[in-house]
Amino acid sequence: MQFGKSLAAVIALAATVSFAPSFAMADDSKCEPDKLGEKYPSLAGRTIRIGGDAQTAPFFMRDPANFDNIVGFDADLARAVFDCHGVKYEWFIGAWSGILPAVVADQADVFFDNLYYTPERAKQVDYVLYMQAATGALTQTGNPKNINSVDDYCGHAIAVGVGTVEEPVVRKKSDECKAAGKAEINILTYPDPASGIRLIEDGRADIVMYDLTVTDEQVKMHPDKFARAFMTLSGFNIGSAVRNGDNDLNKAILDGLRILQANGTQAELFKKYGIDPALQVTAEVKTE
Amino acid sequence: MSDRRRFGWTLCLLLVCGLLVAGCEGINWKGGDISGKATEVAWFLEVPGYVFSPFMLTGAWVAIKIASVAMVIGVVLGLLLALMRLSSFWPVSAFAWFYIWFVRGTPQLLQLVFIFNALPQWGLKFSIFTSAVIGFALNEAAFSAELIRGGIQSVSRNQSVAAASLGMGWLLTLRRIVLPQAMRAILPGLANNTISMIKLTSIASIIFVNELTFRSQQIVAQNFKFFTVFAAAGIIYLTITSAISLLQIWLERRFDWERERAEPGVSTLDRLLGLGLGRKSPDAVAPATAPVLIDRQTKPRSEDAKPGHGWIENLLAETATQARQGETFVVCRNVWKSYGGREVLRGIDFDVKRGEVVTILGPSGSGKSTLLRMINHLEPMDKGEITVDGQAIGYSRMGDAPKPSGNLARARADARIGMVFQHFNLFNHFTALQNVTEAPIHVHGVDSTKAGMLGTQLLRSVGLQRHVEHLPHRLSGGQQQRVAIARALAIRPKLMLFDEPTSALDPELVGEVLAVMRRLAEAGMTMIVVTHEVRFAREVADRVVFMDAGEIVEQGPPSQVIDDPQHERTRRFLRMVVREESEEDVAAFN
Repeated sequence: MQFGKSLAAVIALAATVSFAPSFAMADDSKCEPDKLGEKYPSLAGRTIRIGGDAQTAPFFMRDPANFDNIVGFDADLARAVFDCHGVKYEWFIGAWSGILPAVVADQADVFFDNLYYTPERAKQVDYVLYMQAATGALTQTGNPKNINSVDDYCGHAIAVGVGTVEEPVVRKKSDECKAAGKAEINILTYPDPASGIRLIEDGRADIVMYDLTVTDEQVKMHPDKFARAFMTLSGFNIGSAVRNGDNDLNKAILDGLRILQANGTQAELFKKYGIDPALQVTAEVKTE
Repeated sequence: MSDRRRFGWTLCLLLVCGLLVAGCEGINWKGGDISGKATEVAWFLEVPGYVFSPFMLTGAWVAIKIASVAMVIGVVLGLLLALMRLSSFWPVSAFAWFYIWFVRGTPQLLQLVFIFNALPQWGLKFSIFTSAVIGFALNEAAFSAELIRGGIQSVSRNQSVAAASLGMGWLLTLRRIVLPQAMRAILPGLANNTISMIKLTSIASIIFVNELTFRSQQIVAQNFKFFTVFAAAGIIYLTITSAISLLQIWLERRFDWERERAEPGVSTLDRLLGLGLGRKSPDAVAPATAPVLIDRQTKPRSEDAKPGHGWIENLLAETATQARQGETFVVCRNVWKSYGGREVLRGIDFDVKRGEVVTILGPSGSGKSTLLRMINHLEPMDKGEITVDGQAIGYSRMGDAPKPSGNLARARADARIGMVFQHFNLFNHFTALQNVTEAPIHVHGVDSTKAGMLGTQLLRSVGLQRHVEHLPHRLSGGQQQRVAIARALAIRPKLMLFDEPTSALDPELVGEVLAVMRRLAEAGMTMIVVTHEVRFAREVADRVVFMDAGEIVEQGPPSQVIDDPQHERTRRFLRMVVREESEEDVAAFN
């Protein structure tokens, strides 16, 4: 009995010690900048390097009023997440294709720039998903080649970004065209969205496939040049990515996004940058 | 500002303006063509705003910083690699070859990503800037190594042979003789590399370098004003590369000895149009005016070949060679040498006494020049012994298996053996005086003022007081050879070696060189002269050695060997040479 009592006392004490702080001091559903060290110990004193290319309007771009500032839906969302926790951060601007390798190699901490989720990528990084992607097929005003779906691609010049999820889709379609005895697709690849859009402008491509928001933005700005041929919900989700094992950081992003979704901040940012609010998905951690 | 300069500047400005206008017109037309609107003016007016935007200029500054640091490191490493490539020790040259092969052959993008993202796994984590500098420097090293190697190889080998004969070590030779001349060939390539590196820094955006092109792309991604922003970037790039081009022009002038000391007063424009051709400077005419030689052996033809102030005699007195005249000075014992299995020297035994003048005669390929070059260890011997004044030069062991000692250059310098070459081998980028003072100052540590005085005296005593500041290419062959003799004398030699000193000269210039040699002989200098000048041998030499097929056929006083040869081979050779000489004399008369 004596022994049993002591044991119970020890367990009770241990339970108190271990659970007390979470009950009494920190709440994951609130922005508590002054409790960073308690909630995410490894983030205290760290400056998070946010990787982006500053070339993906309206997600991650230079502020037209002051080129030294970074703005855009993703940039503002990241800013809001880290401000919420009182985490220090800096922008790490480089070519899009170099950012994922840099996160893996610990040269940057988080990729927060219109990054689609793929199982392949998720083997190297941990995601927090926050929206779904739609692909826009941009063409010249009036859709001169009358392309209305991926099935109309055979024999046309279709441009996709290097290393994007659209690239394998179009390559597969080209093989299907060939198998069906039709002309193959003339696949053009571009390094950055701006040079892809130029392909439509100077008539070298019939379609440029890119994120719907980006292509719609172009149609809005230059209705005399561009039109949306069609859009597809690509089934891809967009999320932030951190190095495998950087758990405090991923938890902080997850908690932050949940808070921002709950208090409507994400919806406001969608509105601010002209993105369909229906694309929001509930924040969740996803990895392979 | 001289005419030449003014013309140059005008031409540059015109070219740049022309390019700019052409470029802008082209882009403008295209822009207008596509939009179909009257946006051209607005487009044009917006460009300066981007050119002077701090955001863009910061990008340019990033590119300049990376390129300049990487260029300096790259060129230094490149020089090292070039020297390794030229090394006769094969593992060293193979390593350099492999490095260059690998770095030139792999994409620079990959190298940058490797440095930035893979090296941290082994604990080598560099900042963005450092990673970029390392990446570009390693790449530049590979490319400039080949440029520098080509430059070094473009410098005639006789330059380093001459330096070696003066006791200059390889580093000194590289620094003072080879590189300054190689620069002419290296500089245009290096300027190319610098310019392409400035522009190529944009690929470092993959490792987060935000330089000019990448920043332009970011602006374009946001406002889609391709032509405006990229034209602004183009203007900034042109400004930077123009500065590099100007630096290139300045450096090329500095290292172009021919142009550097061109006659003042003749502008580039005049030269381009041929207007300066009618004018001739007095100096340019001088070498051609030597009178036609009648007796080319005995009398110095031109005024300036006459003895100066007896300085040669003083020099010899100072080196105290006359104190022990007559004792054995140079000893060669059983000397063997072969090139690739062909025996060039076959057991030569040969002595020279102090103060003696020995001429070596013999047909081409008889091994006489090789023997001469082995006396001051310009060529290693396969077997045998050679001593000068009782000392082995650069050998720690001689005999059946000669072993070279450590510092050959020092040994050559200490031996104080002057050498004069068939093709003069003057240092092309140095004036006559600099040629003469180079070894005293940089090998023997003589104070430069004192060396300059001695050099001037020496040049005067070989009759070249008017050509002290002239570069070799401005001098006639005979004058060059006399500078070469003065240069050899400047190290206060105990022994002078002459390797066919008059063979490359026009017949009318031979006399002035022989006159100087004759005076040296009369003053008591110990001399070994490889020559075809039979008359000189007869009149000046104490002893004549006849060589054929790597052997000494006969030797003795000229009266014996030349006038009464015992061997058929000697007779045959002399018959041929004497006939040639008389033909030349006839030609000179006519």
